[in-house]
Amino acid sequence: MNLTIAWITLRGLLGRRRSLLLLPLPLILIGITAVGKAIGAQPDELAEDVLIGMGVAVLLPLVSLIVGTGVLGSEIDDGTVVHILTKPIPRSRIILAKLAVATLVSAVVSAVPMYVAAAVGGVADLGLALAAACAVGALAYSALFLALSVVTRRPVLLGLLYVIIWEGLLSNVVAGTRSVSVQHYVIAIAQKISGSDLIGTTISATVAAVMSVVITVAGTWLAVQRLRSFSVAGETS
Amino acid sequence: MSDTSVIHDIGYQRYAGARLGRAYAVRALFEHGLRVAFGLGRSAKAKIFPWIVVGLVTLLAVIAVAVRAQTGETFLPYQELPSVASLLVLVFLAVVAPELVSRDLRNQTLPLYFSRPIKRSDYALAKFAALFTASWLLMAGPQLLLFAGSAFSTGTGAGAWAEARGMLGGWVVSALYALVFSSVSVLVASLASRRAFAAGAIVVVFMVTTPVVGLLISLGGDGNLAKLAPLASPFLLPEGVRVWLYHADSLPIGSFGPLYALVTVLLTAACTLLLLLRYRKVSL
Repeated sequence: MNLTIAWITLRGLLGRRRSLLLLPLPLILIGITAVGKAIGAQPDELAEDVLIGMGVAVLLPLVSLIVGTGVLGSEIDDGTVVHILTKPIPRSRIILAKLAVATLVSAVVSAVPMYVAAAVGGVADLGLALAAACAVGALAYSALFLALSVVTRRPVLLGLLYVIIWEGLLSNVVAGTRSVSVQHYVIAIAQKISGSDLIGTTISATVAAVMSVVITVAGTWLAVQRLRSFSVAGETS
Repeated sequence: MSDTSVIHDIGYQRYAGARLGRAYAVRALFEHGLRVAFGLGRSAKAKIFPWIVVGLVTLLAVIAVAVRAQTGETFLPYQELPSVASLLVLVFLAVVAPELVSRDLRNQTLPLYFSRPIKRSDYALAKFAALFTASWLLMAGPQLLLFAGSAFSTGTGAGAWAEARGMLGGWVVSALYALVFSSVSVLVASLASRRAFAAGAIVVVFMVTTPVVGLLISLGGDGNLAKLAPLASPFLLPEGVRVWLYHADSLPIGSFGPLYALVTVLLTAACTLLLLLRYRKVSL
């Protein structure tokens, strides 16, 4: 962890006009919940369709993807990563700083609107649990996408393949793939914390917790290893 | 410097060949766009993502053909392939649309294009047409595969003719999906100069409405709300038109079929118009 790098990353992430792109999704989530509530949706419909279907399945992974690949990926893209790599700072600290910033930003952008939306929808207890689970999910996703951004030159597309095809398509059809799906960890953890029966998934909270830790540690380790022997190549293809 | 400086004739010549003009340039832009979409003529890295998606959609068709050959049941009708594969088509567009338009913005090649005989609208429409054709091919190719598999297993000429008509219907549905999907995604991609952001934005635009429509449908029950809600989702809009055109029963839209067709036309027209307006300015 290096505070200067973390600060520079945070400024690079939020200091530009395009950081405003992170705003519409949370606002839509809250707005839709309010509209759904107003036209008489039941708490279980709101929880299943909006909070899970939109919040956990769309908002959390996509925000984490854009932020997680942005913290390091954009520097690799425009070549300024060299300035950091030539400083006498251990690569692990660089990765940890990037991971901390990515997790912080994605957790705030996804967990806060989840809680607000749940409170608007009249399920505030579930909202707290979902917000906490989203923070855990943001950490796991960030580690995963940070590793992707060091491993490949096209991290966003690979991340989209994972989010859409693996988590979106396969885990609805083949239940076994849910044990490697962050989305289902978030649901399982939120269900465990709240004890609510409005949401549910097939994997247990223990598996979810253990696998979240495994993915976070593995992603961070892989990112550090790759950054240690990172070769700065020119733009190809 | 001597008093008698001379200008040497080193043989510069004017271009005297045929000038192929605007139509040729537009066609070249379209063809190039189509090749870029599938990574043809580019490195292996550029081929990975489009062909992963093509492979997955083709796999779907192969499984359907195999199931049909083994059990005789129609596992995946021609017209349902686009809706089953719609998430894959979305991934394809998220890969290809930024490749087509965002790279030109990023590398600032647009001023070069616009200093040629093509008009700005030509550029925008050629890119849109290339994206539309590519996404149509993505669905129509596997439908052709379905047809080949089924026509050979029916064996009779009349059976093959029925299959061919089924496939043509499938192609029309594919064109509907390709039209809606590509018009929205080329517009979104033309607003972002980084490919990564463009890809993310396209997925966000498509994914955000889907759970909402699900909620509205389950809230509406049998009422008009449930029949009108799919209008709001780009995934379900072409499905609604298909239900109206072919009397399918995949989506309860009641008697609002013409409205679905109208919204499809209006959405495509609006996206194309906005795209043309966007290219009146070179930079963002």
